[in-house]
Amino acid sequence: MLLLQLLINGLQLGAIYALTAVGFALIFGSTRIFHVAHGAAFTLAAYLFWWSFTKLHWHWLAALVLAAAVVIAFGVAMERWIYRPIQRHEGAFFTVFIAAFGMQIVVQNAVGTVFGRGFETVTVALSRAVPVATGLYVAPVAAVAIGTAIVCFIALAWFLTRTHIGTALRALSDNPDLVRVFGLDPARLAQVAFALGSALVVPGAALTAATQGINPNIGAHIMLISLAATIVGGIGSLTGAACGGLLLGLAESLALWKLDAQWSEGVTFVILFVFIIFRPAGFLGRPLGAK
Amino acid sequence: MQIWKCAAAIAACALGAAAAQAQDLRIGANLPMSGPNAEYGELFSNAAKLAIEHINADKLLSKKLDLVIEDSQAQPQQGVVAMNKLVNVEKVPFVLSAFTAVSKAVAPVGDKAHVVTVNGGAIGPDLAELGDYFWNVIPLVNLEVQAMAPYLVKERGFKKIALVYVDDPAGEAIRKELETHLPKNGGALVAAIQVPRASQQFSGVAAKVREASPDLVYIASFGAQQAQIAKQLRDNGVAQQLASYSAYSAPTAAQLPESKGALYTTQVINWSGDPLSQRVAKDWQAKTGKEPSAYIANYYNAVLIFAKLAQALEKSGQPITGENLLKQRKAMSSFDVVGGKLTFLPNGTVSVPLQVNETDGGAGKPVKTNIVVAP
Repeated sequence: MLLLQLLINGLQLGAIYALTAVGFALIFGSTRIFHVAHGAAFTLAAYLFWWSFTKLHWHWLAALVLAAAVVIAFGVAMERWIYRPIQRHEGAFFTVFIAAFGMQIVVQNAVGTVFGRGFETVTVALSRAVPVATGLYVAPVAAVAIGTAIVCFIALAWFLTRTHIGTALRALSDNPDLVRVFGLDPARLAQVAFALGSALVVPGAALTAATQGINPNIGAHIMLISLAATIVGGIGSLTGAACGGLLLGLAESLALWKLDAQWSEGVTFVILFVFIIFRPAGFLGRPLGAK
Repeated sequence: MQIWKCAAAIAACALGAAAAQAQDLRIGANLPMSGPNAEYGELFSNAAKLAIEHINADKLLSKKLDLVIEDSQAQPQQGVVAMNKLVNVEKVPFVLSAFTAVSKAVAPVGDKAHVVTVNGGAIGPDLAELGDYFWNVIPLVNLEVQAMAPYLVKERGFKKIALVYVDDPAGEAIRKELETHLPKNGGALVAAIQVPRASQQFSGVAAKVREASPDLVYIASFGAQQAQIAKQLRDNGVAQQLASYSAYSAPTAAQLPESKGALYTTQVINWSGDPLSQRVAKDWQAKTGKEPSAYIANYYNAVLIFAKLAQALEKSGQPITGENLLKQRKAMSSFDVVGGKLTFLPNGTVSVPLQVNETDGGAGKPVKTNIVVAP
């Protein structure tokens, strides 16, 4: 029964990781910008949801809309005011990384200053597990997490395959010059990628506030997982990132079946190292050297 | 000519400010001001600032007392960097410290430089062995567990205890103490689940706790993590009694709805017992709107002890150095501080009565008080 319990916990966690990882992968895949501040967007979304829902007593949907509006603005502003000027001056990949990393720290400290540095949580009945069999407890939020991830991925797939902007975004990741030839503006498309990718952290952030609780440093951890999931899934593949996130969530939880709890996060990075060594392109990425 | 006059005026102002600063007496604080444990740094430094405010208002010392705060991030490596700055650049004779791992890392720096380091928040038993220049104004966790174990087993009937503990020196120390003292009192440690310091996901840990079927779950962590553990245990079907140690008095843990009814040990602080305690409680409430906890007393007391030692040194015309502070503490030994009289043992620790508290959504209420444990 412990195995089944850990499997359900892993699916719930994996759904949250998948949502965040796909957001990061969308931004990185489309723009090649290593947006480490994606974790900061997660922190912002989690705190805004908690603040508006718990402190201002807004409806959960209104709280989600506020969080989404702010993190979309944050993502677009990062692209417009931080990354684009760096890239315009031929800033190296490392410069972009440092800028993003710096923003992550700024947001972390700003959130701590504004909302406090302690632990906060959204208390909802959905996060309370109920016994469904002897020794097996399932919280309704598990179904919400998995359902939300599925809905978001279907909507994203539809957007990327059935709309002009979505098609252009996919083209941007393949060949930005070709996008320009067709009269499209890569800068505008990059902003769409940032807006969409940032919006994808919102459900995961809200679910994390309800299931785990939050503190200003929560974004750093989620960023690491997103990065690992993107590499494991295959850089450039959104499906791969989603599967990578799910795999890492499952691995983190299932590790407890046979290993001590301090290994649960270590397993994530063991999987990452295995992929880096034996399959650096990830399980759905393009083989290295492929055009 | 005008330019020279301006430059001279600026230089005079700068020299004046520097001279004024040089005349101030400064002590250091090496506390986590950022990161997941920043809540503690804010709490501890505010308590120290309140003490400084009172000391300066009462003119206990001939010079104005100032606090230089460096950020340890609750990380040993960062703590050593901060300690080196306080000792070698700021040249302070006295530093406030917190967190077992950080305190163990910075103690040799203070010892080598003959700078007194005072801990008011860390509880690892190893802190009693860090040398003459490392003092503790908080009872260490071996005493807290020795006070809690008989209460839980004999008085409350919680015989099977599961432990969720953080993999740092404080967590390890609590595991060892529970392994030793539960059997002595007729109880047993039925599960000991270690979690990484950075871990934030405990639904699987909850499943393992449920599998052990304990009567009580003892949480040995700190900062945001202990609250996350409590919340996720409750959310994932662990309905058993919760217990912890003094770190649980931090508001985010003690006031969490999921923590309601949790038991935790602290030293006995009677906030209405004497005029000093009343003054501190009143001013703390006025500043923060919250009830003071034992941590507030500890960091206030640490600074007050410095002021009393420095005052004695000033009276005898001796310079305020770490060496002289140590000599003076050995000469004085007992101090009237918040909560009553505090007496240092020869190894720089204190033995004070302890109490078991129950969380009630506020500052907690004592359920068993004046437990005396021989160190």
